[in-house]
Amino acid sequence: MKMELNIVDFYSDVLNIYGDIGNLLCLKKRCQWRDITINQKCFSIGEDIDLDYEDTDLILIGGGSDRNQEAIANNFLNQRKYIDSYLDNDGVLLAVCGSYQMFGNNFKNIDGMDINCLEIFDMETIISKDRLIGDIILNSNIELGNDKIVGFENHGGNSYHDYNTLGIVDIGFGNNKDAVDEGLVFKNFIGTYLHGPLLPKNPHLADYLILSALKNKYEISSLSPLDDSIESKAHDFMVNKYLS
Amino acid sequence: MKNDILFKLSFLISRLIYLIVRKMGKKGTALPGKIAMKIKPDILNDLSSRCDNIAIVSGTNGKTTTNNLSNHIFKGKDFKVLSNLNGSNMIQGVISPFIIDKKKHYDWGIFEVDEGSMPVINKYMVPDYIILTNFFRDQLDRYGEVEKVIKTVYDSIKHESTTLILNGDSPTSLYFDDLKNSKIYYSLEKTKFSRDDETSAESVTCPKCNNKLNYEYITYGNIGKYYCLKCGVKNPKPHYVISKTELKDNLYDFTVCDKYGSSKIKLGLLGIYNLYNVLGAISLARENNFSYDLIKKQIENFEFKEGRMEIINTSSSKVILGLTKNPIGLSEILSIIWADNSKKSVMFVLNDYAPDGRDISWIWDVFIKENNDFSNIDKFFCVGTRAEEIALRLKYIDFPEEKLVIYHSKDRYDIEEPILTIISQNNKNYILGTFTAMPEAKKIIMKIKKEESL
Ligand SMILES: [Zn+2]
Repeated sequence: MKMELNIVDFYSDVLNIYGDIGNLLCLKKRCQWRDITINQKCFSIGEDIDLDYEDTDLILIGGGSDRNQEAIANNFLNQRKYIDSYLDNDGVLLAVCGSYQMFGNNFKNIDGMDINCLEIFDMETIISKDRLIGDIILNSNIELGNDKIVGFENHGGNSYHDYNTLGIVDIGFGNNKDAVDEGLVFKNFIGTYLHGPLLPKNPHLADYLILSALKNKYEISSLSPLDDSIESKAHDFMVNKYLS
Repeated sequence: MKNDILFKLSFLISRLIYLIVRKMGKKGTALPGKIAMKIKPDILNDLSSRCDNIAIVSGTNGKTTTNNLSNHIFKGKDFKVLSNLNGSNMIQGVISPFIIDKKKHYDWGIFEVDEGSMPVINKYMVPDYIILTNFFRDQLDRYGEVEKVIKTVYDSIKHESTTLILNGDSPTSLYFDDLKNSKIYYSLEKTKFSRDDETSAESVTCPKCNNKLNYEYITYGNIGKYYCLKCGVKNPKPHYVISKTELKDNLYDFTVCDKYGSSKIKLGLLGIYNLYNVLGAISLARENNFSYDLIKKQIENFEFKEGRMEIINTSSSKVILGLTKNPIGLSEILSIIWADNSKKSVMFVLNDYAPDGRDISWIWDVFIKENNDFSNIDKFFCVGTRAEEIALRLKYIDFPEEKLVIYHSKDRYDIEEPILTIISQNNKNYILGTFTAMPEAKKIIMKIKKEESL
């Protein structure tokens, strides 16, 4: 039986400031190369789509400029209860940067104004004037087969929470300017400030998301391996540049 | 009186230094301006009065081409025209040509101005025209950048007497709507190269209401025929329109028209964005009563020296150089390369020095349509301090891995070996690269050329 995954990318036509679209492309290709059928849908503002969350296997949400985040905010907030139960039911979701922040209780923007958030996680975000910018390397807290997660961060948001995190920061900032760790992991939710984009250079993390989503539907314990020599070259270059 | 003496002093000293520097064989296009400003910070004020008319070209992409084209068209009328043709577009770069050229009077000053320098330039000169090409995000620290850049430019427009010449197909032109200045719009009718799908390489929300913007078609980037379902805004009615665009023998063949006339023109600059650059220049010329005969003649005999895509012929190879500094620029250059059905190799030099952008994620924002035919590409050389990332990007558009050559550069100077290889293997090569890469690449190719001629 051919396996099938329904991927929904949220707002990819509005929130794609740092190559986040590469995460979607990465998941799609890695499924195609394994002969897993991908059904991809874009959920966005400006059109009325009733999203069937029960039939959704994987959700991707990227980051955008302040103006673009603002553009999607209301629409996104209206999805709150659906997303909440989607996550409770082990739905897989990757949220990057501005959208990661939206999963918390609130965030204070640069003018000290409170921006409404989804309030799914107990997380506070405060925007600071000095942005946290640069290459970033994590020691993964998730079992991935490769310890390191590499990327680039560029965020004004400083996030504070007590959940599990994606990784311990080897190089870079992380959740906030004083953080030792980065991201938020809860069930199959991953929130992170890493772009670069995140998944193509970290194929082990991409496969982790694919496998988690498949496990919700099929009896499966591993994915067929792919030739990741180019992925490894890009990944290892970053690791060696800073850590050797 | 004191002002006058200071002006003369400033002019003379900076000119003297320019002459010395030139004797030493250096180019230093911005240096004279820099020195002149040290002595008299507001010298542009005095200098700009030497021009009867002033036009400024600003925007993200296309400034240099639009500026060079405009300069060339205006020179066709035996006007004395002063311009910063080499792309040096901050205030020093605008002052320097006055010092180097040293005439007391010009009919026209036509300058390209960096968006960030618009406030200071507009403080010292009162332009009769401002051409705004488009606003895209550049790869440098892009967060919220576009809106900030647009606001900077918007705030810099201080004189209601300035006529704005705007790209009618760029939704970002709407941000200038409420300025009282008179506005001229130019537009390109749907071409064979336009796309019907709404996947934009650049996300745009409606400048009026921040809702999602829809497109009937996209010509490139965020430029095309747009409409907003929420507030109903759409492209303004254009004054200058290019239609019936055909591509034949590496030439665009198009019709341009306005209320008073029209012309069929051929353009030898590849890249659909160049039609917009030409439109900006034509609009400026037509607004100043240039005949289409003259415009056509000048466009058709225009030779571009400092372009995005520069051609250098060595004895064995035709090398086409392209600077790429943002996703939209690279998208357009790649679409030219995919469409070129001659046998060739391609090199992309991706560096991550500060001027290139430390963050290389922008290469994933490059719009690449699916199912390209790569059979005419012999090899794709992935070079630079982030060479692997290019290979990775190409792998995910199903570029054949066996055609990829990865050469990781230790630093920006470490690109000679792959360039020698690509030139020795093929007789047509595209070499693309980021900001710090292209000067090095050009230097190496010129060296090869020089050694050949010995
Ligand atoms: Zn609108």
